[in-house]
Amino acid sequence: MPLDVHNGLSLMDACCSQCNHKIERPCKDYITCRVNGPLCHKDVECKERRLRRISEIRNGKGGVKITVGMGSCGLAVGAGEVYHAIKKEVKQRGLEVSIVPVGCMGLCYAEPLVEIRKDGLPHAIYSKVTPENVGKILDEYLNNGDVSNAFALRSRTGNARGENKVPLLEEIDFYKYQVKWVTRNCGIINPESIEEYIAHGGYLGLNRTLKLSPGEVIEEVKRSGLRGRGGAGFPTWLKWDICRKAQGEPKYVICNADEGDPGAFMNRMLAEADPHRVLEGLIIAAYAIGATYGYIFVRAEKALMAERLEKAVDEARRYGFLGKNIFNSGFNFNVEVVRSAGAFVCGEETAMLAAIEGRRAMPRQRPPYPATHGLFGKPTTINNVETLAHVATIMAEGWEKFARYGTERSKGTKVFCITGCAKRTGAAEVPIGTTIRELIFKIAGGIREGRKFKAVQIGGPSGGCLPESALDLPIDYESLTSAGAIMGSGGLVVIDDSNCIVDVARFFTTFTMAEACGKCLPCRAGSKILYDTLSRIIDGGGLEEDLEVLENVSKFMKDASLCALGQTAPNPVLTTLKYFREEYEAHINEKRCPAKVCKKLLNYTIDKDVCIGCGLCAKNCPVEAIFKDIDGKYYIDAERCIRCGQCSMACPRGAVVKR
Amino acid sequence: MVRVIIDGKEATVEDGTTVLEAAKKLGIEIPTLCYFPNVFEEATCRICVVEDKKTGKMIPSCAFPVSEGLNVETNNERVRSDRKLALEVILAIHKIKCQSCPRKGGRCELLVLCKEYGVEGIPVCAECPLHEEDCLLANGEVCLGPLTVAGCDGICMHSNRSCEGCRGPIMRTDVIKEAVKLYSSHGITLENILVKLGRYYSSSPYYDSVVKVIAQFFNKNNKNEWFDEGDE
Repeated sequence: MPLDVHNGLSLMDACCSQCNHKIERPCKDYITCRVNGPLCHKDVECKERRLRRISEIRNGKGGVKITVGMGSCGLAVGAGEVYHAIKKEVKQRGLEVSIVPVGCMGLCYAEPLVEIRKDGLPHAIYSKVTPENVGKILDEYLNNGDVSNAFALRSRTGNARGENKVPLLEEIDFYKYQVKWVTRNCGIINPESIEEYIAHGGYLGLNRTLKLSPGEVIEEVKRSGLRGRGGAGFPTWLKWDICRKAQGEPKYVICNADEGDPGAFMNRMLAEADPHRVLEGLIIAAYAIGATYGYIFVRAEKALMAERLEKAVDEARRYGFLGKNIFNSGFNFNVEVVRSAGAFVCGEETAMLAAIEGRRAMPRQRPPYPATHGLFGKPTTINNVETLAHVATIMAEGWEKFARYGTERSKGTKVFCITGCAKRTGAAEVPIGTTIRELIFKIAGGIREGRKFKAVQIGGPSGGCLPESALDLPIDYESLTSAGAIMGSGGLVVIDDSNCIVDVARFFTTFTMAEACGKCLPCRAGSKILYDTLSRIIDGGGLEEDLEVLENVSKFMKDASLCALGQTAPNPVLTTLKYFREEYEAHINEKRCPAKVCKKLLNYTIDKDVCIGCGLCAKNCPVEAIFKDIDGKYYIDAERCIRCGQCSMACPRGAVVKR
Repeated sequence: MVRVIIDGKEATVEDGTTVLEAAKKLGIEIPTLCYFPNVFEEATCRICVVEDKKTGKMIPSCAFPVSEGLNVETNNERVRSDRKLALEVILAIHKIKCQSCPRKGGRCELLVLCKEYGVEGIPVCAECPLHEEDCLLANGEVCLGPLTVAGCDGICMHSNRSCEGCRGPIMRTDVIKEAVKLYSSHGITLENILVKLGRYYSSSPYYDSVVKVIAQFFNKNNKNEWFDEGDE
């Protein structure tokens, strides 16, 4: 779908014949020249035209701008149709407005989101828009100035109808506790246009970086206290410094966009909604360590993310943000986007290097670390998408503003993805050190369908399952590690009391077992043993020594696995054993599943006091295990029953009891 | 040249050598399985792990280059327990068919290590000095070798006596299945075995279940009911 929505003269083109900006002739002040009017020549008309253009990008053509959230999450619930419906409606009415597809703003539960802004009216955000009600929304907003059906407002002006009924965006719970630092452009700019990024203050960080020396850039990042957002929390400046001092030419810098955790999508969201920020961070990182070539290693399954990153790189190259002598600083840098073939282990640094080199993606023993012996044996720095986006923001805004947030040892903000049984799912950016309780109960609104909170899996399949008692833990690298979980990429899978914890542990073990590359023994065989043992417990054949087996094998995997995948794979098992041991014991000793999930441990019976003898259960039973008794009521033959649960769903009185 | 401490002994070795080689220089043996100098040095079996006293991490000695001030212990309790677990995990995925395996006796490195670390699970057949043709079973003697835990170097068979099963039974159905197949092919019946089985096995807590499993497999064998899907 063509996303070129701004016709006419682009901010990136030469404004008049006097303008001497060309790719062949790079200029130090290229970005500031674009944003703050021409600096190379004095012309009032040119300046005005530029300002007009920037205002048009920000506020839309004719003062009306309609943005449609078209990240993967939005598209999945029909934002594409909504976008076309809006286009059609606008064409029918003969309006002159900008319709801009934007990325996800983190409110995934409310997608598809449409934002309408008109000069003089409050900017209104509509949620769960369908192609059918697009016309009504446009009528209400544009013709009547009525915002009463909006989901939220960005600002209040006091002249729209129904304004007081609708909360401000900052007032809704999902937004109230957030700090929009790195996701500031998400859901606001068109991700496929470098012009929009620049009009919203983009590439100023790069502009500033290229005027500093690489040492000063590293110093700035050091002062900010930024730590790697990929999970381990290694200080970013230290990584850069080691690589900068390492011997060998050329040096490489890699952006790790191989996000694979189930329940984590912050990288996808960032790269889909604001790909140029990531690219800017990558260029800054390359300048700091002296790299001349970079790779963006992106998951092929996340097709939109890969596409947008590729587009961003193309566009940046076209306007001289990549290539030789960038902004006349003498710094050469080029980037290639590599699509991985999609294995979880590719997210591990050394496996990723192997994949880029064209070998089978398997990790290798470290040391030597990639900082000294990386891609093709040369010094290489690998940074996560979010880290690089932070770098770009830090260089633009200065380290002081970044270091305001966070805790003593972990500065800044982090995007967390909340999925599972939470009321509001999506991505929220909060300062590091926010407690898990705040994230789940304040931002995500607690558990849906009135159920009770049971556990939260933090950090994907490599993380840990934490119980209610750990909810007041501040989320930072150290306290999570001490609780047995890891920060990981920052995915929170909320688990309610309808889930069996042994089943949850088996789910995550299944994932790591399938994704293990098979190179080292502990991970390859250990995860299989964990899976087999857990399956045995779930199927009712658990032995008393099984818990010991789980603990021993987990310890061995943690100790002796080659890479972080194997070292962290037993975390879900270990943490559930630590916090929910009684549930395991109920499975093994009493052959009972407290959450009533494990089928082989369930027994269906019919409560004759409640049964009205309608026979629906017998009709629905696929194995004919339900019979009529002499008293006209029904009973279940336990030997024939396959525990499918059809009878309990069919019963109008709830007489079928699960036990 | 860098200085390293291995098991409390100090050594000066060249930069870039592995911990394994440095230990060898000091006369300290570290067991290995997958390591094959210059051919395969990928550290996949993790038998050679040693403990780094500085970081508290377990490192594979065959692929870990030494660095200045490295202090490792190669044989403390944690290392031994991890190696034991590694062997147990290997055995769990190993296809135990020692009777037909060409690596008998001292040639089986896995057996040697299992004996050293007290890991049970390999049958006496693995270390029986008698070859397949000279196997006592071939003479019709009831030998408990295929069912019994190894570790005795096969001294009975050395002196031409059949195995009495003094080290107890192996609790693995695939091993028992293999043994029953072997017995049947030599015409030895369940009754023949049961006579001998009680003598040492009866002290094992698993005696009843072992007998049950053996009987089960004999039953299946008699009815020709072998189903081999579990036999990779």
